[in-house]
Amino acid sequence: MAAVNGYQGNTPAADPPASNGSKQSAPPTKTVDSQSVLKRLQSELMGLMMGGDPGISAFPEEDNIFCWKGTITGSKDTVFEGTEYRLSLSFSNDYPFKPPKIKFQTTCFHPNVDLHGNICLDILQDKWSSAYDVRTILLSIQSLLGEPNISSPLNTQAAQLWSNQEEYRKMVEKLYKPPSA
Amino acid sequence: MELLGSSSSSECNLGILETLSDDAIEEITESYSGLFTTVESLIAGDSSVVEEKELVSHVSTLCKYGLASLVRDHFLSSLQQAFDKGGASTFWLHFDNFRHNQHSDYGEEIHQALCGALEEISIEKQFLEKCLSTLVHALHSFEEQSSDSERVELFSRFQSMLSSTLMTTLPHHFPEILHWYFKEKLEELSAIMNNEDDDDDAQQLESDGMDLDDKLRSKNGEMDVDQGFSRHDDLVKNIGKVVRNLRSIGFTSMAENAYASAIFLLLKAKVHDLAGDDYRTSVLGSIKEWIQTVPLQFLNALLSYLGDSVRYGTTTTTPSGLTSPLASCPSPSFSKVVTPSEGIVRWKLRLEYFAYETLQDLRIAKLFEIIVDYPESSPAIEDLKQCLEYTGQHSKLVESFISSLKYRLLTAGASTNDILHQYVSTIKALRAIDPAGVFLEAVGEPIRDYLRGRKDTIKCIVTMLTDGSGGGGGNANGSGNPGDSLLEELMRDEESQENVGFDDDFHTDDKQAWINASRWEPDPVEADPLKGSLSQRKVDILGMLVDIIGSKEQLVNEYRVMLAEKLLNKTDYDIDTEIRTVELLKIHFGEASMQRCEIMLNDLIDSKRVNTNIKKASQTGTELGESELSVDILTSTILSTNFWPPIQDEPLVLPGPIDKLLSDYANRYHEIKTPRKLLWKKNLGTVKLELQFEDRAMEFTVSPTHAAIIMQFQEKKSWNSVDLAAATGIPIDVLNRRVNLWISKGVLRETRGRESNGNMYTLVESISDSGKNESEELLGGDEESERSIASVEDQLRKEMTIYEKFIMGMLTNFGSMALERIHNTLKMFCVADPSYDKSLQQLQSFLSGLVSEEKLEFRDGMYLLKK
Repeated sequence: MAAVNGYQGNTPAADPPASNGSKQSAPPTKTVDSQSVLKRLQSELMGLMMGGDPGISAFPEEDNIFCWKGTITGSKDTVFEGTEYRLSLSFSNDYPFKPPKIKFQTTCFHPNVDLHGNICLDILQDKWSSAYDVRTILLSIQSLLGEPNISSPLNTQAAQLWSNQEEYRKMVEKLYKPPSA
Repeated sequence: MELLGSSSSSECNLGILETLSDDAIEEITESYSGLFTTVESLIAGDSSVVEEKELVSHVSTLCKYGLASLVRDHFLSSLQQAFDKGGASTFWLHFDNFRHNQHSDYGEEIHQALCGALEEISIEKQFLEKCLSTLVHALHSFEEQSSDSERVELFSRFQSMLSSTLMTTLPHHFPEILHWYFKEKLEELSAIMNNEDDDDDAQQLESDGMDLDDKLRSKNGEMDVDQGFSRHDDLVKNIGKVVRNLRSIGFTSMAENAYASAIFLLLKAKVHDLAGDDYRTSVLGSIKEWIQTVPLQFLNALLSYLGDSVRYGTTTTTPSGLTSPLASCPSPSFSKVVTPSEGIVRWKLRLEYFAYETLQDLRIAKLFEIIVDYPESSPAIEDLKQCLEYTGQHSKLVESFISSLKYRLLTAGASTNDILHQYVSTIKALRAIDPAGVFLEAVGEPIRDYLRGRKDTIKCIVTMLTDGSGGGGGNANGSGNPGDSLLEELMRDEESQENVGFDDDFHTDDKQAWINASRWEPDPVEADPLKGSLSQRKVDILGMLVDIIGSKEQLVNEYRVMLAEKLLNKTDYDIDTEIRTVELLKIHFGEASMQRCEIMLNDLIDSKRVNTNIKKASQTGTELGESELSVDILTSTILSTNFWPPIQDEPLVLPGPIDKLLSDYANRYHEIKTPRKLLWKKNLGTVKLELQFEDRAMEFTVSPTHAAIIMQFQEKKSWNSVDLAAATGIPIDVLNRRVNLWISKGVLRETRGRESNGNMYTLVESISDSGKNESEELLGGDEESERSIASVEDQLRKEMTIYEKFIMGMLTNFGSMALERIHNTLKMFCVADPSYDKSLQQLQSFLSGLVSEEKLEFRDGMYLLKK
């Protein structure tokens, strides 16, 4: 019954869009200018925002993309459940070849966090790799809360108390001050 | 009387009393009583020459003793008594009949009463004046010096006595009678004037203001120009007489008020009559002409008539009843020193101002309608402009127009297209009235605000801007073509735009600078100094439209989507109009912002070339197999995806031969353009096909999806929807929708099948099977769901979800933030594709949306996460 007379204007796309470079891949050269750091941080921010991992978040401060504020909530079924901790992240020009400096701003009663908020975490020191990014750092810190490294504590009192989870929970609640704006 | 007389004289000349002899006293009393009787008989009107001589001797006797003032006082008071008794009361008696009734009931009667009464009272007055001049004469004969000043003084005393007598007894309805009289007379006059111009009009107008005799005469047509003039002169003379008589009894200002208000009333009626509801002709000229012919000629005649008599009074030495001091100085325009022409000039100005104001009020009240049919109604706009230049009441216009806009245009019932059309007309019309754009700014503000609240505003604007062929937005409304006018606007502004933008202050050409400087005009007083001066304010329709949208990027973006849609629907590569539009837009919005559109156009141009190349290559190839299709029937559009708006993808399995054709085509392309490959967007484009049935053939231009569906029926006459969906690769719900086109065309028939397999579609082979026999060609693809390009709203929604995540992220880490800070932070960090380009207002409305979704909280000017 039907005969196709003409077939017009079908529209192929000649140039498929180049996929955006994976944010995990580090540039091959060691010499990086701040421009590429900026780019990297921007794309990390985008990834972090779009990723939507629950319980972790970070955002650059108003005018400086090298200084971020981070937020971590305590995981469920740990003594830190229901708490929220504010962190400061500061990136150097060598990022991601050097780890960012990260500190707790909210007081955190934790074996590996000292009274000034310094964190003892291997990936933030000698085990750093440029493959890590803000998201993985925050996730590591979040898991560190529930699984402290008792063997090398910064806060010995917390390390000693860790074995008694009920008491520890009380201590966390006592010392916890929710971060303010 | 005697006592009064002697006491008054004793007051004046106490010393003289001592020296008076008995003889002298006797002489005085004798002459005094003699004076009494002679004055009485004089005023009674039955005096003889002897008595007049006696009066002279009495007067001279009294004057000899220094009692001249006594004589004058007595004489005047006797005159007053006489006037009270005779003149005044009988004068008012004439009008008693008209006290309580409508004046129109009386008609001529009232004219006659007025004329008669005035005539009578002037005669009375003249008589009394004659008496007075006799006395003056008597006084003259005694003392020669200071005669003239004495005469003037006496007459002025008499005049003021007379008018005050009349004024104190003035009945309330007299001014009304005067007013009505003048109104009648003027109408009559106007009718005569009209008659000269136009017989038909005259008859109509005359019927209410003229008596039967006059009407008959005019109907008989013997009323030639001369007669018209003579009648006109007579009429003016009559009125002049009335005015003169009124003046002579001291009613100058009342008379003037009466005829002035009558003239104004008549003028107002005339303006209303002329202006009416027709905006396509300019009426100002004819109004002016009418002022010139009717009221001014009347006034001219009247004033010169009165002016002549005034001059006559001053040049002759004989005292005349018309040289009353009150008559000569009531208002500056009538004073003796002013020539009548100057008075006329003043009258002219007054009348014109009044006409302008009346017309202006009339036009302002109807401005909305005028602007609705603007290009046709430009004469009315021009009139209004002139009126406003004269009266300067622009603010009235702004207020009234805004309120009518709010009431009539900015309502939910008005379509966006109509509002935009009206907006453009408003801009154009007001630009004519006020080139500086001050009032336009005030008027445009509510419209802009309102339009910003409408979703389809941008789309409508872009359609209007670029669609020269009209039919903006799909609904082709008859009144005017907004599309045309705006495209025209794009081109019109082309040249004016040239020296704008880059070097506003810096003119390379001194001559140009000088021209600009000499063209400078101060801002109107009403201008808002906060909004910048004239030089910054440009009455640029395009600019004002962009202003509604917010930014030109949005407009360009919307245009890009529209352009993409248009280009994709093209079957030939004819893009001349699009190229022209893009070039015009480039002039306005800059090369950079139109870059993507240019690339899209270039894609089309390249496609055309590539297409020819591929076809050329195919001709040299091998012969086609039987079931194969020639490449000649295929044209392709090759897009650089990155620069096109997101294209909606819809799965579609094409029938075998077509698919083969496409892949052949793609292979050839690959050969020519290695390493590039074609990725087909199979659901885009159009298919021209012809369906041959047992008894008929039908031609269609449809989308590939529709074509793929109908092609399946080539093999099998009926399909159930599930199988058909599988064969074509179209989701079943989409399929059911698409099939509707063929059902509505009478090609397929739908029958309810078993539940599991969905509906059955059967081909209608012969026309007799179906009730329908439509065979018109129709472009399938008018449904909203069939748009191949993601609409701007969709894109916006997508963008906004990204922003939402960013906002959530920053609020998580910063607690609470003010609108400004969120805006700045987004600007700072949301830079990847799509970068943040929204205005503060847009962000605010987006945030309040999030608040209403209970995702955010808004407290004390800060946004924070809802916990």
